[in-house]
Formats: sequence, structure tokens, C-alpha cells
Amino acid sequence: MSEERCDILVVGGGPAGLVAAREACAADSGLEVLVLERDRAVGAPVRCGEGVGSKGVAEFLDPAGANWISRRITRVIFWAPDGTEVRVAEGDVGYILDRTRFEPALAADAGREGAEIRTGTEVVGIARDGDGWIARTRGPRGEGTVRARFIIGADGVESMIGRWAGLDTRVPSRDMESCAQYVVSGIEFDPDAIYLHFGDQIAPGGYAWVFPKGVGVANVGLGLVALKADGRPAREWLHAYLDRYFPTGTRTGYTVGGVIVHTTVKRTVTDGLILCGDAAHMINPLSGGGIVTGMKAGRLAGRTAASALRDHDTSAARLQRYHSEWMSLMGDDHERFYRIKEALNKFDDEFYNRLARTVNGIAPDKRTLGRVFAQALMQHPSLLPVAARYFV
Amino acid sequence: MRRLPPTIAVVDRQLCDECGLCMPLCPPAAIEMRREGLVVFAETCTGCGKCIAPCPVGALLMVPNPLLAATLPAA
Repeated sequence: MSEERCDILVVGGGPAGLVAAREACAADSGLEVLVLERDRAVGAPVRCGEGVGSKGVAEFLDPAGANWISRRITRVIFWAPDGTEVRVAEGDVGYILDRTRFEPALAADAGREGAEIRTGTEVVGIARDGDGWIARTRGPRGEGTVRARFIIGADGVESMIGRWAGLDTRVPSRDMESCAQYVVSGIEFDPDAIYLHFGDQIAPGGYAWVFPKGVGVANVGLGLVALKADGRPAREWLHAYLDRYFPTGTRTGYTVGGVIVHTTVKRTVTDGLILCGDAAHMINPLSGGGIVTGMKAGRLAGRTAASALRDHDTSAARLQRYHSEWMSLMGDDHERFYRIKEALNKFDDEFYNRLARTVNGIAPDKRTLGRVFAQALMQHPSLLPVAARYFV
Repeated sequence: MRRLPPTIAVVDRQLCDECGLCMPLCPPAAIEMRREGLVVFAETCTGCGKCIAPCPVGALLMVPNPLLAATLPAA
């Protein structure tokens, strides 16, 4: 049984953990930072729709000529339940990533800064050890322990680090989107657009998506709230969706997973430990997007850990500044988005059909999300209290 | 000692894709991901059923609690 030591142990080699490792090393090159990833490779298997906003991702990696971009996206197309198509946001919208190359690029950056990335090794338990932690690990060479002065928990939707550390990371069923996705080849769609398809018969409580990986190839998936889904699992809803809308496509890859559409957990830190990314429910609850948010949180987590170690104060009280900085950066917005999501969930298909037709009456270059929302308010004054909270 | 629930969750490993979605849904943290696959610990499961419907592939099922059966006198 091997025993080793490090300053910062990062659990999970996804976007949040890899950025956390890179930023901690960049803040203090003397720190020994170890990233443990359970899977045999970072970035695989892909459990994601792979869509990101272009501004957000550029804060972390240079998109110019990048091999981790599958497709550049210049427009968003909403499909109402009845099929009414609404085009918005022409311009530089975002990218569909190739996660099997994106995470390796982030890992390479972290490695250049001095972090060690170890795949195929999982953390099976943690316990307090003086001012630090001791983690039990299991990897190709058997069981081991890592003594760390600090732990950054970036272990994703299935996070156990938080629970082991006494932080409440449970998710109510209604705030969990069950997702299924195929990579589908040989289908026709606008390869410069992402499609979002709403409807109680499509994906109740969520939406279906078409995210282009190339011309004629796309991630086609859906996320739904199981409590509204008649007891049929997400995979069955996706089969029905594909049979109806893309019957001729070839299904070449398959994944399932959960997206937490909640708000940031109430406590993201404890003594000597920070949670970031999906593990702390840092996901945009309206879109389900968590890649850029996870990286922003990882950056804060890495820097906070480095400065706390430098000052020899890793107490929860000191680390609380991470939580407040996160809440001002994005967490507070997510709470507003969550209230909007709750309000939108009350409306039926007919509301969205009417909204789509009204929005199509607005000139395409004036279709901002604000104007779309204003139209929704005109039709449904009951949204006003939500709008007041959102815009005030 | 707590009352054993009449039914508990089990995982069908042939269907399970090991996405981990069920883990944060489980109030007593009875579900763990192990190298050999997903595990539901019968001793910890309270039989609440919160993990069942959200599973994207329908790999979690409720079954009569085997721990209860084990305590029945042999017929």
C-alpha cells in the first residue's frame, strides 16, 4: 500500500478540477498539486451535450485554431412544441466542444504549470488528518493513501467528497434532469445552429437538443424531469424523439447522465476543503450548462486554496470568501434563473406555441432574450413577480 | 435498531451505464460507485424510491428487502 503526500489534492479531472489545479500552481509554483481522475482518460467517456458560450470558454483556453472545437455556432433556433421555429442570437454564439480533446488540453496546461494528473485512480474515502486530510485511493497499482493539506472536490454530479466532508450535496428529484443522448450521423440540419426543442410530449420539464458536431452529424439528446415523465426513462423518450424527428439517422454513440438544475449548495467549504463545479451544483439551472461555470468556480477554488495555504489559514471561516465571491460571480444569477425556471415550468405547450408566434413578429435583429421575455410577460402577467425579482 | 424497509432499491448492472445520477438523489448515501459497478447498500437503503424514476436507463428497481427475507424462519 503506497502512501504519499501533496499540498492540494484535486478530486476529479473534469473542467472544474483541471482549471483549479492549473490556477493553484500558477498562483504558487511551490505547491505540489495532484489531480486524481477515476476514469482511464480525462475527457472520456463523454457525458455531455458539449455546448459552451464562446466568451466564457475563451477565458480559459485560446479557441483560435483549437483542435478541441468540433463546430463553431452562430445561431440558436428554438422549436416550440408545435414545431414553430424561432431564430435568435445571430452572431458569435458558441462552440460545440470535443470533450475528448478539451479536457486533455486543460490537463496539459495544468501539467505545464506543475500539477500531476493521474488517471484511473479513484478516491474511496476521506478523513480529517490534523489540519489536513487523508484520502484513501484505489488505482491500477492497488490501494493507497494520500495525505493532503487541502482538498478541492470537483467530482461531478455523483460527488461524494462533499458528503464525506459533512456538506449537504443532496439533490431533490425535481431538480435533477435525466438526460440521454446519441451521436447521430446522416441527418439534415443547419450545421451552424444549435436547436432547442420544448414541449411536454418532447421532454417534460426540460428540452431536446441538436448540437452539431459537423455537417450532418450532431449530438441529439434530451433532458427531462422524471417526475413528469409518466414513469418512462429518458432513454425511451429519446428513442421516441429520434424515431419521430430523425428517423433516417445512424446512431453512432450513446450516453446518459444527470444534470442538476438547482442552485449552488448552501455550504461549499469546510475546514481545508472546497467544492466546485457540478459537485457544488454550480450549473445554470435554465440551460443546464455547467462547463464554463465549473471552470470559473475551479479558478476561484484554486486561487483561494493557494492563498489560504500561503497564509497557513485553511479554516472554513477563511475559505468562506470563496463562497461569497462565487455567489457574486454567478451563484446569485443562478438563483434568479432558478426562479424563472420554476415560473416557466407552470406553463403548458399552448403558451410556448403562442409565444413563439409572437416572437416571430419581432424583427430578427431585435430578438433579444429581454424582448422575448417581455413578450412572455404581456401574455402572462403572473410572470411579473418573477421578472421583478430578476431585473431589480 | 431501525425497522427494515419492506422494499429496497437494487441496480441491474447490465442496464446501468454508471452515470452516477442516482447518487446525489439518495438521502442516506446508500449508493456508491465502485470499480465493479454501481452498488446499492441494502443495510443503508431506506426504500424511499427517490432514485428509481430519474434513472435514464431504468436500471434501478424496487425489490422485497432481502434482509427481511433472511430473518424469516425457514419454511
